[in-house]
Amino acid sequence: MTAITAASAPVRSRAGVSRRQWVGLLYVLPAVALVTVFFVIPLGMTAWMSLNNWPLMGEHSFVGLDNYIAILHDTRFWNALKFTFYYTVIVTIAIFAVAFPLAIFIEKPRPLTNLYRTAFFMPAVVGFASASLLWSWLLNVDSGLFSPAAYDIGLTEKKVNLLATFQPAFWSIIAMVVWKVAGFTMIILMTGLQSIPQDLQEAAVIDGAGPFARFRAITLPLMRRTLALALILSVAGSILAFDQFYIILRGGPRNQTLTAVYWIFNQSFVSFKLGYGAALSMVLLVILVALSLVQLWLLRKPEGLD
Amino acid sequence: MKTMLAKLMLAAAVIGGGLQAASAETANIWVRADGSNFMPRIVDAFNKAHKDQIKLDIIPNAEIIPKYGAAAAGGTAPDALSLDLIYTPSFAAAGQLEDITDWAKSLPYFSSLSPAHVKTGTYKGRIYGLPFSADSSVLIWNKKLFKQAGLDPEKGPTNWAEIEADAEKVNALGGDIKGFYFSGNCGGCNIFTFTPLIWASGGDILSEDGSKATLDSPQLRGAIDLYRSMVKKGLVPEGAQTDTGANFFAAFAGGKIGLSPSGAFAIGALNTQYPDVDYGITFLPGKDGGWSSFAGGDNFVVTKGTKKIAVVKEFLDFAYSLEGQTILAKYGSLPVRGDIAKEALKDLDPRYQVAAEAMAKGKTPYSVVFNDLINSANGPWTQMINEVFFGDDVDGAIANAQETMQSIIDQAPNK
Repeated sequence: MTAITAASAPVRSRAGVSRRQWVGLLYVLPAVALVTVFFVIPLGMTAWMSLNNWPLMGEHSFVGLDNYIAILHDTRFWNALKFTFYYTVIVTIAIFAVAFPLAIFIEKPRPLTNLYRTAFFMPAVVGFASASLLWSWLLNVDSGLFSPAAYDIGLTEKKVNLLATFQPAFWSIIAMVVWKVAGFTMIILMTGLQSIPQDLQEAAVIDGAGPFARFRAITLPLMRRTLALALILSVAGSILAFDQFYIILRGGPRNQTLTAVYWIFNQSFVSFKLGYGAALSMVLLVILVALSLVQLWLLRKPEGLD
Repeated sequence: MKTMLAKLMLAAAVIGGGLQAASAETANIWVRADGSNFMPRIVDAFNKAHKDQIKLDIIPNAEIIPKYGAAAAGGTAPDALSLDLIYTPSFAAAGQLEDITDWAKSLPYFSSLSPAHVKTGTYKGRIYGLPFSADSSVLIWNKKLFKQAGLDPEKGPTNWAEIEADAEKVNALGGDIKGFYFSGNCGGCNIFTFTPLIWASGGDILSEDGSKATLDSPQLRGAIDLYRSMVKKGLVPEGAQTDTGANFFAAFAGGKIGLSPSGAFAIGALNTQYPDVDYGITFLPGKDGGWSSFAGGDNFVVTKGTKKIAVVKEFLDFAYSLEGQTILAKYGSLPVRGDIAKEALKDLDPRYQVAAEAMAKGKTPYSVVFNDLINSANGPWTQMINEVFFGDDVDGAIANAQETMQSIIDQAPNK
């Protein structure tokens, strides 16, 4: 009897686990299906296309790694990537420099807090393309806002075409992106700030810590996870930047603001080389995944905390 | 079954001389947005008079190439499309188009079809595209501003020096009024309106067969100096430097620009939308006289393997009739049949005659990589024109563009 019970018990329990697993699988099935159809299969197709000479029209043929070898010599892609990194660094710093003070400002309840929160967050709900079109008009030298206004109040001697040279054009884009994205980052940072227990701050005050010391020793370390999230979102978003440079600048002045995605778009839909575009996309994907891993590692939870 | 039917219908049409076939078919045709004025009118007229029908889709200019490529890959391409003529070689090279050589040559008026269209419609000796709509580049001037500036409002400039002198006089009126306008960051606009200045002076930017870039010429350099000089003297509005084509027409239509290179399309657009602007039309001149024009417009191409080819041919036949050509001319395109062009234009604005003459002797560059070389906003041509008109290093910009263009040509898959 005991032998039978001992033998049958694990069997029953194995069956139980297996049933639970099946139920679990059932629960995640919709998500798995979505990810498969809209991510895994397209990704697989992109990988396959990248191994082919795949024109927009006509027959495609297998070329092995030729596209990837061509990328090594594609100086314009590497220049575009270099510009993309430059843009990412600048814009991320700019976004945090604006979003952090805003988050601290709106974190505590005070009169009109909800109004401020809404106002700062508002641009985040505008699509990037619509925002770009709006700014494209604001920045227009003849019929826009900034140049004519500066001229009318006597700041400049003539209307200055902000988009004609690199520096003003680049910083105009940075201003537009900060205006558009800072509100979103602010909300993320605010939730991080609010999750810090108030008694830690109070204890530090009693111990005589000044505001700067409290920010450095309490706020920043306890916001690691939030910072990591905001940083990864900002970096990934900036490396994939396209709309604003396409709509406002067309990659100009003189192709100095071509981003990596812009170059992929050009190769795929201007030069009609879909296979090469796919290979470039794969390279960019690998770079982006690597960058995200590095960021997660840098902002990992240090030993002993919590 | 459908091909059988189509063949039968074709046979019936040939034998019976236009006898109606028993059952009607519908063919799907695409046109780019530039044709949204005249194309629906022709299709309507055709559908009213014929049993076979045409279903028309209008596609945004920038979308039509990728959209067609995707549709062709998915097997849902239209039976035919009206395609910017400069793309015909690359479409034919991709093996996407039906060879219509025999049919084309059987048309009694084949020899009077716009030569520029037929040339770009021909790939390796076979015909893949026939002219559908036409647009030539011309120089337009504002008569009211000319009069105010003390110039003869009925006389346009006939050489480069006169262009600059006239622009200067108009510019001297001051205020918002400027002498000259061009879209300084638009490759497509400037191949259309700037290269004729070079052609008329005896130069060119591409060899006849499109296999060599020939930017290093005194004629190109001279035309650049003309534009640079006008920019330097402040005759051109600031916005021109970054205009990617959005203001190509609108700047002149605003009535505050003395002179602007433009196209035949501007006649219809100005007459209907800006009746207050009094303007004259002349040819784009060479340095010391003479003239040239970019012969642009659409070629009509047939998707390879379509089953509706009989309907498509019936439609094109109709478009080439006097009725079709008149509708075309009335709604913004030039006629493409030289032998009846005069008749089709006779009741219209006389300024069309100048544009039609420009079209007849117009020129079109031939290249299977035209998009990469010229039209792309990030291509070598667009980059060069912006640098040479507004930048400091003209020679460097030309040399750079020459090298990039040649390497794009050399790397093209199907030369």
